[in-house]
Amino acid sequence: MIKRSFFGLVKPKLQYEIIDDAQPEPVNINASEKIMLYIDQPYENKANSLLKIGDQVKNGQKIEVVKDADAYMLSSKSGQISNISSFVGFMEKKLTAVTIDIDDQANQLLDDSFKDVYKTPSMENAKDLLSGLPGKPDFDVFFHPDKPIKSIVVLGVDGDLLTTTNQWFIKNGIISVKTGIDLLRKITGIHDIILIVPQHLAQVAGSAGATVKTVDSEYPAAHPQLIIRHILADKNLGGNDIASNSGIAFFSAEAVSAIGAAYKTGQIPLDKIVTFISKDGNKQLVSVPIGTPLQDILSQLNESLNDGDRVIFGGPMTGVAVYSPDFPVMPDTDAIIIQDKSQVVERADVACINCGECVRVCPANIQINQLIRFLEAGQYEEAADQYDLFSCIECGFCSFVCESRIPVFQHIKLAKHTLESMNAAEENNA
Amino acid sequence: MPNTLKLTVSHAPFWHNGSSISSKSRNILLASLLAVVPGCYQYGMAAVGVVTMSIASAIIWELLINFISRRPISVGDGNAALIGMIFAMMLPATTPWWAVVTGTFFAVVIAKEIFGGIGANPFNPAVLAMTILMLSWGNLFDFNAALLNYSFNFKAVYPLVLSKSFGAHAVEPFALMDLLLGKQIGGIGSTCGIGLILGGVYLILRGFIRWEVCFSFLAGIIIAALCFNILNPELYAGPGFHLLTGYTMIGAFFLATEDSSSPVNFIPMLIYGFLGGALTILIRNIGTHIDGVLYAILIINLVNPLLDKIRPKAIGKGV
Ligand code: SF4
Ligand code: SF4
Repeated sequence: MIKRSFFGLVKPKLQYEIIDDAQPEPVNINASEKIMLYIDQPYENKANSLLKIGDQVKNGQKIEVVKDADAYMLSSKSGQISNISSFVGFMEKKLTAVTIDIDDQANQLLDDSFKDVYKTPSMENAKDLLSGLPGKPDFDVFFHPDKPIKSIVVLGVDGDLLTTTNQWFIKNGIISVKTGIDLLRKITGIHDIILIVPQHLAQVAGSAGATVKTVDSEYPAAHPQLIIRHILADKNLGGNDIASNSGIAFFSAEAVSAIGAAYKTGQIPLDKIVTFISKDGNKQLVSVPIGTPLQDILSQLNESLNDGDRVIFGGPMTGVAVYSPDFPVMPDTDAIIIQDKSQVVERADVACINCGECVRVCPANIQINQLIRFLEAGQYEEAADQYDLFSCIECGFCSFVCESRIPVFQHIKLAKHTLESMNAAEENNA
Repeated sequence: MPNTLKLTVSHAPFWHNGSSISSKSRNILLASLLAVVPGCYQYGMAAVGVVTMSIASAIIWELLINFISRRPISVGDGNAALIGMIFAMMLPATTPWWAVVTGTFFAVVIAKEIFGGIGANPFNPAVLAMTILMLSWGNLFDFNAALLNYSFNFKAVYPLVLSKSFGAHAVEPFALMDLLLGKQIGGIGSTCGIGLILGGVYLILRGFIRWEVCFSFLAGIIIAALCFNILNPELYAGPGFHLLTGYTMIGAFFLATEDSSSPVNFIPMLIYGFLGGALTILIRNIGTHIDGVLYAILIINLVNPLLDKIRPKAIGKGV
């Protein structure tokens, strides 16, 4: 864990991880008995559902809860559905959890709906069959005629600390990234594709056939909103910085590489590259089928969990702590961190002392010392109207430095979530 | 297979830089010793008595308030002890025990807890308490009378009184070096300039106080004093004298920098400090009070919320 430096006068700095020169190949991990897929769709009307317990599914098959929903997953194994349940995820998100008992390795059946179409790549078949790829590509943004996409940004950088997943694709797989970029260009018709990489990978990235831009190695410079603001400042964004409105679509290097591989071979790649950080701080890349429960990774890497330990899906600043080792790898799980009980820093229930550390590190220039007072009092509307709640880019830096150890970031997320669901409810009633 | 493993679940981020209120209080207390120890050496056991009494009573007041308001015990963060220490630093060694205890009552209970506890006090608690005490029992803090029974190997007159009554000439005998080394009478922990400076620099380097406030406060003193001095060198002492007498040094490093009552943005910090320094000199030179630091600090505490409105725009808001 990075501590405050002895000389606290200088602004705290957090550096992104730099991938090792001698990075070994990712370790292959396999699912042992079952996989679990969380689909971003509530499981409410069971009669209406396309899924039934006992159904046979094939490797690469699209798993959707209702017909033609935007949200679906791709099964990374063939097998039989053994359980379907509704699941409440982070911030009350309603999901459907599908458990699949997998066939043994020798008898894997391949789904061939993609085989039929891969020779004619198009936006439609990508949206229809490839949204579940590792790296979670978002094709929906191209289907909003009112918000046309003008540029595509490929992120060869990782969004959080310690993680090297996307860097690995630039360093060791630039050719497949290039294939993916060419394909994206073809199916979207967009020529302006920008590849964002850390400085040390600028040279490798040059061969990808895209405009290369580098970002600073200091957290959170690689955050999409800051990239828009600082690196793509020349793009005319019409004053609004929110990524989805800005005419820019973001893809991770992993997703681009998977898109390329899918259209090249007709075979959908469903192994996710994850940066795994063990209790003793050892980092290694693992390649694991999407849906594999954490337990399988732990047992194959000989890592054990005890009461009080913390398991984080994602990076140390923005990840999500899970409560069970059954939690599966998702298409966007770039890192998994295991923290020993002794590394868990307690948060406190103390008031803000107005030290201003948070204000000095906030990349969004938010007056957090004021904001937090409204958030703690539950006055979310004032917080949004007067204290810039919605300018927050969710980097977590404020909580990291808070001297009172207030969970500032948690307050912010909760406030945003509450306001958003209130607005949604109002729209529904109107 | 029932799953009985209990993992820790909490919200991101999962790292913390390890800073805490208690380590901040500890370090400021440590730094203040650099000025308090020479003070105690100079004034003997009486000074030690005042300091310990002040710290102890501040802690007890806070405990009482915790108890009465049924809030979790908060003395562990060291803030009450710190208030007690800073309050004692301003007192003469002869302060009677009841005045010390009343003072910490004002500081901890009135100036801090009633406003909502740590971080919610609009004024620096120790300064507010000291001001109330001075207004109520002014004679206790007439340093000349208070310290009459001591014999020193230097001029035992409160320097600011001299300059106020007799003009700049009267203070010529004070060599700046002596003032810096604490050879002057005054509060227990406010006369040893060198100790305060070293302590302050330590705190700045460690990032526990903000250099912007200290430096601009001192700059305010220097520039304002220089203006007066140039206008009328007969009447007004130069910046060096003002820097090293009264509560200037403790004000710059320990009083104006209190977190809750000072701004957090860069430009506001500069204005806040500068205003404090300049007001100090104005009060000293034109006002009726002998020292202006405490009033100046209360005034800048008052304008702090206004100053902090000068701030960079949040992203995504306008152009
Ligand atoms: S998470 Fe905190 S530091 Fe980051 S943008 Fe939001 S308010 Fe600022
Ligand atoms: S870092 Fe924490 S205590 Fe300091 S001003 Fe920000 S919210 Fe308040």
